[in-house]
Amino acid sequence: MIETGVWLIICIIFFAFSFEFNQPIEIYKFGATGWPRVVLLLLLLATIGNFSYMRIHGSAVQKGRVGIADEDVSDTDYGDFGALLKVTGVLGTPFIFAMLLKPVGFYFATPFFIALIIILFGERRVKWVLGITAMIYAVLLGLFMVVLNAPLPQGNMSPFYDYSALILTLNTQLQQMW
Amino acid sequence: MWENFAAGSLALFSDPFTIAIFVFGVMGGMLFGAIPGVSMLTLAAILLPFTASLTPAQGVMLFAVIYCTGTYGGAITAILFNIPGAPENAPTAFDGYPMTRQGKSGKAVGAAVLCSAIGGVASALVMMAATEPLANWAIRNIGPPEIFALVFFGLAVASSVGGRSIWKGWMSVLLGLIIATIGQDPVGGINRYNFGFTDLAAGIAFVPAILGFFAVSEIFVQAEKKATGKFDAPKVGMSFPSFLEIWAHRIAVVRSILVGFFCGILPGIGATLAAFMGYGEAVRWSRDKEAFGKGKLEGVISSETANNAATGAAMIPLLALGLPGGALTAMMVAVFQMHDLEPGPLVFYNSPELIWIVFAAMFYANLSILFIGLVETKTILYLLKIPFQFLAPMILLLATIGSYIGRGLVLDVIVMFGAGIIGFLLRRSGYSIPGIVLGIILGKIGEQNFAQGMQMVHYDLLTYFSRPICLILIVAGALTLLAGIYKAVGSSRSTASQ
Repeated sequence: MIETGVWLIICIIFFAFSFEFNQPIEIYKFGATGWPRVVLLLLLLATIGNFSYMRIHGSAVQKGRVGIADEDVSDTDYGDFGALLKVTGVLGTPFIFAMLLKPVGFYFATPFFIALIIILFGERRVKWVLGITAMIYAVLLGLFMVVLNAPLPQGNMSPFYDYSALILTLNTQLQQMW
Repeated sequence: MWENFAAGSLALFSDPFTIAIFVFGVMGGMLFGAIPGVSMLTLAAILLPFTASLTPAQGVMLFAVIYCTGTYGGAITAILFNIPGAPENAPTAFDGYPMTRQGKSGKAVGAAVLCSAIGGVASALVMMAATEPLANWAIRNIGPPEIFALVFFGLAVASSVGGRSIWKGWMSVLLGLIIATIGQDPVGGINRYNFGFTDLAAGIAFVPAILGFFAVSEIFVQAEKKATGKFDAPKVGMSFPSFLEIWAHRIAVVRSILVGFFCGILPGIGATLAAFMGYGEAVRWSRDKEAFGKGKLEGVISSETANNAATGAAMIPLLALGLPGGALTAMMVAVFQMHDLEPGPLVFYNSPELIWIVFAAMFYANLSILFIGLVETKTILYLLKIPFQFLAPMILLLATIGSYIGRGLVLDVIVMFGAGIIGFLLRRSGYSIPGIVLGIILGKIGEQNFAQGMQMVHYDLLTYFSRPICLILIVAGALTLLAGIYKAVGSSRSTASQ
């Protein structure tokens, strides 16, 4: 029921927002809304089909389906609150990292992100956490900043921006040495 | 043809700098294709500005070589980590990853190496022999209605693989199609679904979406397994497939070459649809359909042969007509334009040496896949020995860089992680991630060609059925769709009667 409800909400939201761009196109009879609305109608029909299928079979795999990985079939049981917290942490951390990229920048936020992910994945040996964090950070900077000169987010808040500027200045000096 | 090929080979190997660029392209394509999180597109995007300092032949050759070897490289991560390096490697993961779980990673990677090389070399040979006649045939017989029909067929095939039921398969594809409508509409340029974000006016870039749905969601799945104590490190298997094992699948190889070539030659379609259709056809013609998705070698062979067979074919509309078949071939157009050249029929007359250096380089790049791939495979398999807690941050950060570099927007990184969370939840509920991704990739192409086709036939849909290729593809798509629904309804009836 919840799953079907979510899909219906998606259909309703996208249909409602389609009125925002409901403008005719002189050279095309169906306008800008024709295609998305047909797709939404088909999605609605598939949702109804899925609802009726799930009422009979639950979440069982339809006979003859191919290309389904084992982990996409198994139902995970979160035995304790700690496990749920860990998964939520892994899901949330990259998102927070992404939100921080604009103000803090890639160069400053990355080492903290690496260490946090390693810890969330269960590594508790401090030396390993620090060592691997330093190694991954060095490899990424070496490959993308020094070798490929790829532009990465520098941040727009002090002192994070100043840190990025320092790293980039060091890179420029390194390049000039060659 | 052979004289031109010899001249192209000579031009390629007579200049040390051109050789260095060729070797860089081969190694770079394989490496970036094989690193989970980034892809050949990331490398191409980074290298694009540097091609201005190369000759036109060197620039286009570099991208063509990256295209060939990168398409193969993406299979490695698909097989070892269930993270396709590029969308065209997604069907490879269907059977490749279960093979890794069973300790047969060596067989799967070995088959990918061999079949990528076979598909690529066959495609390169046909490309050299018949670019002009094939391009002429395509321009006479293939129009927007045919491309729309092929998109429909491809989406029908994608809905039939992955997803716990046909309904979930279609819902995945349709979700991808809806995501593809975000941004400007392809006919009138009207902004759709930007929800107040100006950056969304350019649409959802498919690289972040792909990285999110494939790479990030896989990290989340493994994190869940770690947290719930179900994590089981994949086994390293070193045995390669024997000649007899590959020979036993010769029909699948030939079929996939034909499918890959047909898809590759159509402008805008490219290797992704080729891989899905190669896989779908392998399932359709197999007597042992149930074994697909559980670690069947034929699944890897079909998908990898088809996607590499599309690489050479995708160069035909690009070079002969100036129409790119995908993101990387679109970047090649930019390389041409940087040197004041336009790809198209005139290139064959004005710059034949450029064409034949590119053809020769693609041929040798595909051969390199065979030799370097087989040598490298054993080293690559040791990636499985790296503890996942150290691999995960590396993959996430490479994916971050890969999605940021394309347009320089932090929004793309947010979209990627958002797609990762959505992908994780959808996978847990039995939806098809490759179906969503194919929907995103083909959505705009489908809409654009449908609109152009409708304008062309004055909104008379029946005209579509008077065009033979279009009719065949629409009927094939409809049959695939109806067969899936029939099976779902039949299965519901038999359960109800029990």
